[in-house]
This record gives sequence, C-alpha cells and structure tokens, in this order.
Amino acid sequence: MNAMNEKKINNNKKKCEFEFCKVCNLNHDKGHRHKYFPNHKKSLSAFLSRFQSKLADIRFFLKNPSVLRPEHASRNRFWCVFCDADIDEISSSFACSANAINHLASEDHVKNLKHFLWKYGGEMNHMDAYRILEADVAKWEKNCKSLVNEAAPSNDRSNMLQVGPSNDIRNELKNKNINDFENCTFDPIKSNLSNGVMPLHYFTNEYQISHSGLSADTNVGPFVHDAIFSIPADAWISNDLAVDWNSQQPLPYKNLISSSDLSYRGVSQGYQGGGMVNGVTSSQGSHNITQTSATPPKKAGGNVHTGGPPPWFEATEENHLSAELKPISSSFISLSNKPGKKLNPKRVGAAWAERRKIELEMEKRGEIVKSDCDDNWLPNFGRVWQSGSRKESRKEFEKEKQKLPKVESHSEMPLKIKPYISKRMRRDASESE
Amino acid sequence: MSYVLTTLTKKKEIDSIIRDTIDKVLVLRFGRASDAGCLHLDDLLSKSAREVSKFATIALVDIDSEDVQVYIKYFDISLIPSTIFFFNAHHMKMDSGTADHTKWIGAFHTKQDFIDVVEAIFRGAMKGKMIVNCPLPQERIPKYQLLYKDL
Repeated sequence: MNAMNEKKINNNKKKCEFEFCKVCNLNHDKGHRHKYFPNHKKSLSAFLSRFQSKLADIRFFLKNPSVLRPEHASRNRFWCVFCDADIDEISSSFACSANAINHLASEDHVKNLKHFLWKYGGEMNHMDAYRILEADVAKWEKNCKSLVNEAAPSNDRSNMLQVGPSNDIRNELKNKNINDFENCTFDPIKSNLSNGVMPLHYFTNEYQISHSGLSADTNVGPFVHDAIFSIPADAWISNDLAVDWNSQQPLPYKNLISSSDLSYRGVSQGYQGGGMVNGVTSSQGSHNITQTSATPPKKAGGNVHTGGPPPWFEATEENHLSAELKPISSSFISLSNKPGKKLNPKRVGAAWAERRKIELEMEKRGEIVKSDCDDNWLPNFGRVWQSGSRKESRKEFEKEKQKLPKVESHSEMPLKIKPYISKRMRRDASESE
Repeated sequence: MSYVLTTLTKKKEIDSIIRDTIDKVLVLRFGRASDAGCLHLDDLLSKSAREVSKFATIALVDIDSEDVQVYIKYFDISLIPSTIFFFNAHHMKMDSGTADHTKWIGAFHTKQDFIDVVEAIFRGAMKGKMIVNCPLPQERIPKYQLLYKDL
C-alpha cells in the first residue's frame, strides 16, 4: 500500500516543461492543469471579451458594407488572436474590412479557434461568437455588389473637388443624407465603446441652415480623421467650431465618424474630445459635415484666435491658492502617509523603520533630540570574510579598530620590564645595607 | 553627475542617509568621480535615478575623503566602483555568482540591468529576506578577483 501511495505522489509531482500562456501572458510549468486555475479563467474572460469588442466592429461592417479608400486601407489592421496573425486590408477588395471578414469565415481560422479553445479552456459552445458564418458572408457579398452598382455613377462626381456654389447636386445629396439619418441603424452606445467619445446629438434643422452658406468640398465616402490636416490651416478651426461656422466661409471642417472610423480605433486617435464628435452617416455616398453644437457663438470668453484666456487658467488660480496652504512634507513621511498602504510587517528592518518614523515625527514636532546617533555608530554589515551574525561582524570590526591605536601606543611608551622584587626582599636588602 | 545625485563626503552624512531612508532601498556607490569605471556607473545611476525613485534612493560616496575611511575599512572596499545596498538601515546582500555577496563591484551593462537589480533587492527586502539572488544572467555581471583578506 505504501508503494501505491508513493506512486500517486510521484504522479502528482511530475514536472512539465515551461510553456507560455498567451492569455495570462506568463510562463508556467503546470502543463494542462494551468487552464483550470481561477487566475487563468479570469484572464481568459478578459482576453476574449477584448477580442469580442473588436469583432463587434467587424460585424457592423458585415451588416453595413461601405467602400474602403485605398489610401486608408493601410491603417485598417486587425490582429486575430487565434491565428496569431495580422490581417490588413491593403490588398482587400473594395469593401471595408473585406479581408477580415473573409478571414473570420475561413476554415483555417476555425481550426485555430478550436485549437485555442482546447488549449486555453474556453467555452466550446460559444465558438460561433468568434467566427463569421458562411451564410452571413454570402449575404454580405451580395450587399457589397449592390453597393458597387450604386456607387458607380456617383463616383465620378465625388472624386472632383468642387469649389464654388454648385448647390443643386449637393443639396440633393444633403437632403438624401438628412433623410437617411433617420433611417440609419447607428447605435450610439456601441460606437461609444469603440471610439471612447460621446457623439453629440444631430440636429437636422441646424444642419440645413448652416450648410446653405457652404462652399463645398464634396469628398464622398469614408474620410479618415487624419486626412483633415490636408485642408489649409486657416480653414480648420481647432476648438470653437460654432463661433466661426456662421461668421466665416471656410472650407468645411470634415470631422466625420464614418463607418470606417467606428471600427478602427487606431485611426481616429486625433479626436479632440467631446466637442468634436458628432453625427454619423451610414449610407455610402454622402458627405458628412456636421455642426458641433446648436448654441450661438460665444463672444464673451474669447478663444484661441481672439487671444482670450484658456478655460483651465481660471481653474488653476484656485489650485494655486490651495497648494500654497498645504504643508510641505518630507519625502519619507509622505510616503508613509499614503492612505491604505500597509507594508509587509515581515519586511527587512520593519521594526527599525517604525521606530525611526516615530522618531522623525517627534523631531519635526520639536520634542526629541537625536540621542542615539553617536559618532561611532556603524550599521550592521555582513562582512565578506566573516562567520557568524552581522552584529558580530560589527563587534569584530570595532575590536580591530581598537587594536590599531593600542599597537601604536605600545611602541611609543615601551614599558621597562623588571623582575619582581618582593617587599621582604626589599626590606632585607635595605636592612642588609 | 553630482548635480543629479548627492555626493557624500562625511561619515555623519552617510549615517544620516542610512538611518533616514525608510522603506526604500538605499544604493550607495563608493568610488571616485575621476575614475572611468565610476563615471560609467554614475552615468547609469543618474539616468535611472528618477525611474527607481519610488522605491530606491541613490547616493555617491567619495572614497578619497578622510572621514569615510572608516567605512571603507568596515565595508572592505578594495575595488571601485563598489555599490552597497541598504534597506531600513539593514545591509542587503546579493548573490550574483561572484565571491563577494556584500556589495556589487563594477558598473552595469544597461540601465535596465541596474533597475532589475534594485528591484530584486526591494522585492526580497519586502518579503523579509536579507540576501537575494541576482536576476541578471552571468554574462552581464562584471567579474573580478577578490583578494583574500590578509594578502
């Protein structure tokens, strides 16, 4: 029976080679057991949900195909975690994220997905969440084809930059845009997640009014944010769009969240926060100029161009006052005052640290005078060639230190060594004399 | 380098910095500002001082000053630059495969090596260990010959 028990123990202690878990991002030697550990399970759910959100963007395209401009294609990349491969859109067909959709429907991807789930222990029944079914791909392709047919006649017009009033065509398109907006299936919450920015509500009335005075630039289709920098600087107003929209007649500011921007976060990094993000177009072939807000232009505060103070200045004045009142604390005390940080009581020198902290605080308050730091204080140092504890090494050192001056004094005052003469002998000697 | 890192020349200063650095690793470099090896190390130290500032304090000790000779004898410093680590006034040893575990002799290859060493010391100290293992691979540890004490 003992032999059997030993065998069991031995089996449990079998050591596995180190392997890398890409979910937890660490190396482990537990082999297959690793995927059942709770930490791994937590990391796995986080990992998969991150990937899911990227997939959600692609699924949006599946339902709403739109044209991908070749110059923007290079920015749209997607890393498939199951296949460990980048899928970019450089050689993709005309539609946005075609390569990604095709990849997610491919057999290889499914194989890799299965292998991943086996290796890292995901739920096998949720497999469909990480791939695209062939039926959906077929539907998407049909949609794409119809899109191409629609876009063909309008493409010629769109590629030309038209300056000057050419209202008829654009009005038509604009109206189409407005009408389409009501029909669009844009989900503001979803796009929030992918952009991280709140879209402002889109007032169709203001849109119509403000666009009547526009000299235009009809750039059709998805327009990536970064391309805005090609518009001349004086036309591009940084912050206060509402102010200059009505007062000047610049080239319109193209801040657009088109369907392509929604999905590729990396592309739309240049957003300036809440003020800029606005309505969305879902249909291809419309221009996407939207106004940031409906409020009348603010003249009181001024802006960057009129030389007014930046809004954060008022805030900092208050901060300055409060900062001066705060007492300046020394670095080591402030470290210890961090709320909620309890240091390991078993750490090296914990007792010393506590005592010293108290001493320092008392010194600050002026109560105690440094008493135990004398000139000959030495830290406990584990010396190189010592044996025994560190305290002993210090004692050894001090002994050595004391030996040196003693040796010197010996040589200075050589003692005369005389034989011992007892008192009796001295007495006898004196008596005899 | 001394405009970034404090240079200590008196025993009292060394004492006070050892006693006052609480819950942070104290890195004391013993050497000369004119020595090439020390300059290399000092450069690394000053560049990484800010990065480790949350858990380590770095100071330089000039071994040519009279006052610190007692420390040089106490710490057995014969080769420079020598770096000694303290935590809460306790001396921390590091086993890097060399003969002398009480100090680090020589410079480091990169800033990251230095930061790794200080991190290893900090982690060990927080766990209560007074001697830690060196996280660097052997080829990145400067080698030297240690003279036996009575030679």
